[in-house]
Amino acid sequence: MSWRRFLAVARLEFRTTVRRPLYIVLLVLLALIAWGLSSGAVQVSSGASDVGGRKAFITSMSAIALSLAVLGLLLHGFFVAVGAGMSVIRDEELRVGNVLHATPLTPREYVWGKFTGIMAAFGLALLADLLFRAIANHLLTGAAEAEIVGPFELRNYALPLLAFGLPTVLFVGGASFAIGSLTRRPILVFFLPTALLLVCLFFVWAFSPAWLSETWNSVLMALDPAGFRWLNERWLEVDRGVDAYNTQTIAFDGLFLANRVGFVAIGLGAVAFAARRFEHVLLARSASANTAAPRAVAPATGSARGAEDAGSGLAQFSTLRPARLDGLAMRALPPSFLQAAASTARAEVRELRNQPGLYLFVPLILLQIIGTGLVRTGAFDTPLLATPGVLAAGSWNTIVLLLELLLLFYTVESLERERARGLDAIHGSTPTSTAAILAGKSLANSVVGVVVLLAAYLASAGIILFQGRMAPAPGPFLLLWGVLLLPTLLVWTSFVSAAWCVTRSRYGAYAVGLALLAGGGWLAFDGQTNWVTNWNLWSALRWSDMSVLEIDRGALVLNRAFVLVLAVFFTLLAVRFHPRRSLDGVRTLQRLAPRPLFRAVLPLAPVVVAAVVLGTVLYKDVQGGSGGADQRKYAKDYWRRNIETWRDAPVPAIRHVDITVDLEPAASHMRVHGTYELENDDPKALALLPITPGRHYRGVAYTIDGVKAEHEDRSGLHVLKLTPPLAPGSRLTLGFEHEADYSGGTTKNGGGAGEFVLPGGVVMTSFGPSFAPSLGFLEEIGLEAKDRPNAKEYTDDFYVGPTPSVLGTDTPYSTRVRISVPEGWRANSVGTLVEETASEGRRTFTWESDHPVTFFNVVAGRWSERRGEGVVVYHHPDHVWNIDEITRTLEASRRRYSEWFAPFPWQELKLSEFPALAGYAQGFPTNITFSESIGFLTRSDPRANAAFMVTAHEAAHQWWGNMLNPGKGPGGNVLSEGMAHFSTILLHESELGLRERIEFCKHIEDSYGSDRQVDSERPLVKMDGSRAGDTTVTYDKGGWVAWMLLHHMGREQNLAGLREFLRVWGPSADHPVLQDFVAALRPFAADTEAYDAFTRQWYFEVVVPEYRLEDVKKEREGEGWVVRATLRNAGTSTMPVEVSAARGTRFEDPDKESARPAANAPAAGAPASATVQAAAGKEAWREARTTVVAGPKSVTAIEIHCDFEPVELVVDPDALVLQLERKKARASL
Amino acid sequence: MLRIRDLVKVYPGPVAALQGVRLEIDAGLFGLLGPNGAGKSTLMKILAGLLEPTSGSVELDGVDIVKSPAKGWARLGYLPQEFGFYPNLTGEAMLEHLLELKGVDAPGGRRKLARDLLERVNLAAAAKRKVRTYSGGMRQRLGIAQAVAGDPRLVVVDEPTAGLDPEERIRFYHLLAELAENRIVLLSTHIVEDVAVLCPRLAIIRGGKLLADTTPAAARASIEGRVFEGDVARADMAAFEREHLVTSTRLFEGRTIARIHGEGAIPPGFSAVPATLEDAYLALVKAGARADRAIGAVA
Repeated sequence: MSWRRFLAVARLEFRTTVRRPLYIVLLVLLALIAWGLSSGAVQVSSGASDVGGRKAFITSMSAIALSLAVLGLLLHGFFVAVGAGMSVIRDEELRVGNVLHATPLTPREYVWGKFTGIMAAFGLALLADLLFRAIANHLLTGAAEAEIVGPFELRNYALPLLAFGLPTVLFVGGASFAIGSLTRRPILVFFLPTALLLVCLFFVWAFSPAWLSETWNSVLMALDPAGFRWLNERWLEVDRGVDAYNTQTIAFDGLFLANRVGFVAIGLGAVAFAARRFEHVLLARSASANTAAPRAVAPATGSARGAEDAGSGLAQFSTLRPARLDGLAMRALPPSFLQAAASTARAEVRELRNQPGLYLFVPLILLQIIGTGLVRTGAFDTPLLATPGVLAAGSWNTIVLLLELLLLFYTVESLERERARGLDAIHGSTPTSTAAILAGKSLANSVVGVVVLLAAYLASAGIILFQGRMAPAPGPFLLLWGVLLLPTLLVWTSFVSAAWCVTRSRYGAYAVGLALLAGGGWLAFDGQTNWVTNWNLWSALRWSDMSVLEIDRGALVLNRAFVLVLAVFFTLLAVRFHPRRSLDGVRTLQRLAPRPLFRAVLPLAPVVVAAVVLGTVLYKDVQGGSGGADQRKYAKDYWRRNIETWRDAPVPAIRHVDITVDLEPAASHMRVHGTYELENDDPKALALLPITPGRHYRGVAYTIDGVKAEHEDRSGLHVLKLTPPLAPGSRLTLGFEHEADYSGGTTKNGGGAGEFVLPGGVVMTSFGPSFAPSLGFLEEIGLEAKDRPNAKEYTDDFYVGPTPSVLGTDTPYSTRVRISVPEGWRANSVGTLVEETASEGRRTFTWESDHPVTFFNVVAGRWSERRGEGVVVYHHPDHVWNIDEITRTLEASRRRYSEWFAPFPWQELKLSEFPALAGYAQGFPTNITFSESIGFLTRSDPRANAAFMVTAHEAAHQWWGNMLNPGKGPGGNVLSEGMAHFSTILLHESELGLRERIEFCKHIEDSYGSDRQVDSERPLVKMDGSRAGDTTVTYDKGGWVAWMLLHHMGREQNLAGLREFLRVWGPSADHPVLQDFVAALRPFAADTEAYDAFTRQWYFEVVVPEYRLEDVKKEREGEGWVVRATLRNAGTSTMPVEVSAARGTRFEDPDKESARPAANAPAAGAPASATVQAAAGKEAWREARTTVVAGPKSVTAIEIHCDFEPVELVVDPDALVLQLERKKARASL
Repeated sequence: MLRIRDLVKVYPGPVAALQGVRLEIDAGLFGLLGPNGAGKSTLMKILAGLLEPTSGSVELDGVDIVKSPAKGWARLGYLPQEFGFYPNLTGEAMLEHLLELKGVDAPGGRRKLARDLLERVNLAAAAKRKVRTYSGGMRQRLGIAQAVAGDPRLVVVDEPTAGLDPEERIRFYHLLAELAENRIVLLSTHIVEDVAVLCPRLAIIRGGKLLADTTPAAARASIEGRVFEGDVARADMAAFEREHLVTSTRLFEGRTIARIHGEGAIPPGFSAVPATLEDAYLALVKAGARADRAIGAVA
């Protein structure tokens, strides 16, 4: 190998690469992204969110590694794949390969030289990436980012480069180079990065359910070419505290290093293999050329004399005269547009059929669709039921991204085909119109799209049929993947064509296309897209079987029309700039003079005007919509004008609500009138009554005690003057009426809506003025996230004395809600149905509260109903799959919670389904509402059963939230959400069994482990929901701690305490918080000292253990075995914890339906040695346990004697102690 | 009538590929001769509507095909100097596709026409083979088949016989001769034999300038009596070339025989021989090159 020649090739390749538009665009993108990242868009999820709290640095090694791991594959990977993969192909197309190979240059020098040159260029791009970031982070940031910018340290940039960026680039570059060299097929070059993107983005990086074993987790980490999964799972998943992320070097382990070295080896090995193959191919070619040499070669030149001497004629060669052409009677008429397009399309399809890319991409898509379809999970990692609409909408982003990438490659290669094959001159001089050629190519490429979509549909149909619950109806697929997707594909294809035609370069087109995708992805990630800019509808479509694209329908139609017009514009641009004819530089300059330019642009004017008009209308629609500037201004004005005057202004208490709501769902319209019975419970007389109506109200009118009352409109706050002022203890009747259209409004980017009146369903609550005016000034309106102040800091004794309620009003009231709906509809509200009438095609339902409430709602739909014992479920007629489960759970909840906590005070417990335009469930008194995406469309699985979980949780709110309305202030909400989770744990064990209870506990424990923020986590008594990580602490930890408390106190003592707590505090005007709860249960504790110790550490401190088993050994001991180990608590807290030595199968395979009853499982806290009869074919489960108390950072020796040979040692086998990283608290023996 | 007026093409650099070419060509075969880099292919591409000239015009039967290349494409048969095809199509399918794009049809249908055309270029046996398996000559013949298809008013063929064996060249000559009966056929080549055999009229171009617009007979006549042939010792050749305009040399029985074009004294041992078109072409081209060198030396 000659180093001189090798370096010459490398230098040339380097120079060529860095001058390509592809490379320049990459650098521009990197600079823009560096600038964007410097605002803190990508940060390690750690630190405190409140003002002055420690924030995670964007300059830390962890943050740089996090972004580089992702961008290394998704951005650098794509560009290096194109650069490296196309290198040899390009040489072949330019026919320089043969010339090069006729020189002393060896294949090895050629291959390694080219690869080295390319890698040097893209290595430089990696360096530039980090240089841009260093500049953006340290020089371009200002005071706003001061908290997130740490000191500059070279290693923070260098180590991620070496550990994440470089190995990824070497792997992708090497593999793509080899693919390009070996196959000479451009499409295959793009297969690798596309496949990596799909597999990583949607599976390797994302798939991490709580039940995934550590072994499989490690396998996935080892298979990740970017190293991102390892970083996330091993370094970022469990919050180590912001200081650790800001200052520490990432602790790489053997698995990570093996992964990085392995992928580098694969990349370089692929290049070495390509070099060898290259050598063989050239040798074979050379041998073949030598063999063919003797064949006669026509003289290219020769003397004219022979021919001239013979008389300058062809007569002597008459025997070689072919039959005359005129005998063919040929006629020529330039082909029509359609004929030419069809012919072009046919030829292209024939070429496509020979492209192996299609045969690789389609299976990949099938795998992707099947993989994501089967493992789609919702709340609590519950497997979701795959319905046609859910699959079609859920796969939208994947399908669109994949098709856009595919069409980018296929369109560019298709446009490049004539030039690459040398057919451009012949092709270009035919009388076929350029438009027809482009149309034909687009048509052929659309075959790729159709094949992909068909494959995706078949895969989806397979998933649906595999579930065996429903038929794979093609309607939703046709609507979404057909009608709605078509404009996106058209605009994308035309844009790519225009990019190719304008840049007249394959690399230019790739660069522009990839830049647009990357830029669009960034904007979507950063939440900056809206209906105007979201041409590919990323994350904009929300499917509901009950309300098919009803929300944002106007914006959706306008968006599609806008995109179609853009497609026409880009097509015209492509036709105009198609490089069929090489333009002259001088004439081109002359064309830029004003008059010729005007003449050239004039034909585009109608399209441009149409695009501008549509874009403007759409923009105005978005601006006027629920997330638009108009709404923001209205809300801001409301807030600014009234905050100081009305924030703490007293309002009277509601004693009774009487409201009539006439719904016209088809028109998203309602008419509302009613009265509030108000009582002044303030010691002072009330002269002014502030009321907040909805912005969507029209024709608002008020009465006081039946007399029309005028109001002052203070930027959306209506203020009524009470004459005379309402004396303390006095009452008045406030009457109100208005009408409103309430479709949810046009969202910014298809974000759904929490409350709405739509043809598919209605859901509204009294939490805000969606249908009933709210009393007083609402601080939340107009308060944007960036302006939100830190939460109020309460004193430790804030709860002493009357505490207001956290939900609804402080005092309960009675309701009478009349709802009229069209025939065929049903409407529900809180309380009991006292009257149902039908008249003139409408039905009216009258609901009265049979027990006071503090908030109420209205939900309506065209439902079927399922009645159970004291419960009823209203659901979409087709959503029958989980109705039995939901009904059973509702019955069990009502029965068990009544037995454990307090009797259910209302007559009936209802649950009503509403369209999945929002994904919540709410436990209003007697009237629970479920989004269809919660519970109704889930697959029951013993490992996670959302139908059961959510029903149990929401039903528990009848007790924890309704009967007991917690106090406003830190810890209050734990009594609502945490106790609802605790109730769900209890119900799991009583109704489903031990295994399901353990699985649920592990689920919410896992959620706590991954979502908590170490630095900002506060004790449960301080939880106010204001900080990142508060939700998981409130729900998951709150539920877990109550569960541990039950075991600590003993079940009966604990339940007796809870009953007493509800009895005393339920009707109280002083609403309780956690301190009240702890005090209320204390008298029921057998050991108050232990009780205090427990509650102190779990409610008043932040503790959580993290157990590890070390030095694990097992030895024979007589007839039996002894297991010795040390238990290290790497975390905090002091808790007794069980350790089990076991063998056999404790529970059957959870995937088997027959495994559902947990009859053979022992109850929690089973005896120290137990044997369970195993299911057929499985070894009986045997175990021996010991209990140890492991304090913070303690190391405790354990010894377990067994009369069998144990194979596994498990800490806390029954999930009785909340801990971090439970998966690691076990050891094989 | 093909009328080329003051055609100028300047490439970035700048490189003047054509410098005011003027030609008027009637139906029949017209040869365009010139050395490599003379500007022939540039002119061909402009005529084929694939390259926009810097200035000047080209009219085909009164239609300016520089301004409206699409009007030219409808009446054009073009065989470029270098070309390829879709490798995965068969010869027949490829030709049929091009016939569709050209809008060419025949009573028996396009497929039959494609087969017939392939038969005319002696490719019938390989019609069902994929183009990627074709040799260079076979590809050239497939190119010829598409160029002669239809009823083009103007046929532009750029170095068409490159890669053809003698037999196929003859076949091609016949096809061109037939086409030229009622069409304008422009044959661009640096092979004088092709022009000598086929073209009643020719132009010689060099350095983007038109050196001659003539007939083979007139070209020959213009140098008749001034072409001499004789032996030159190989060692003396360089000096001989400095003194005489050597149009060609060849080896015969180990001797170097030089052919010169001269006005003055005849070198010893040289005798007058009948002039050929090649003599006329080389004399013109080499004289021009000499003049350029001389101008360059003075400058």
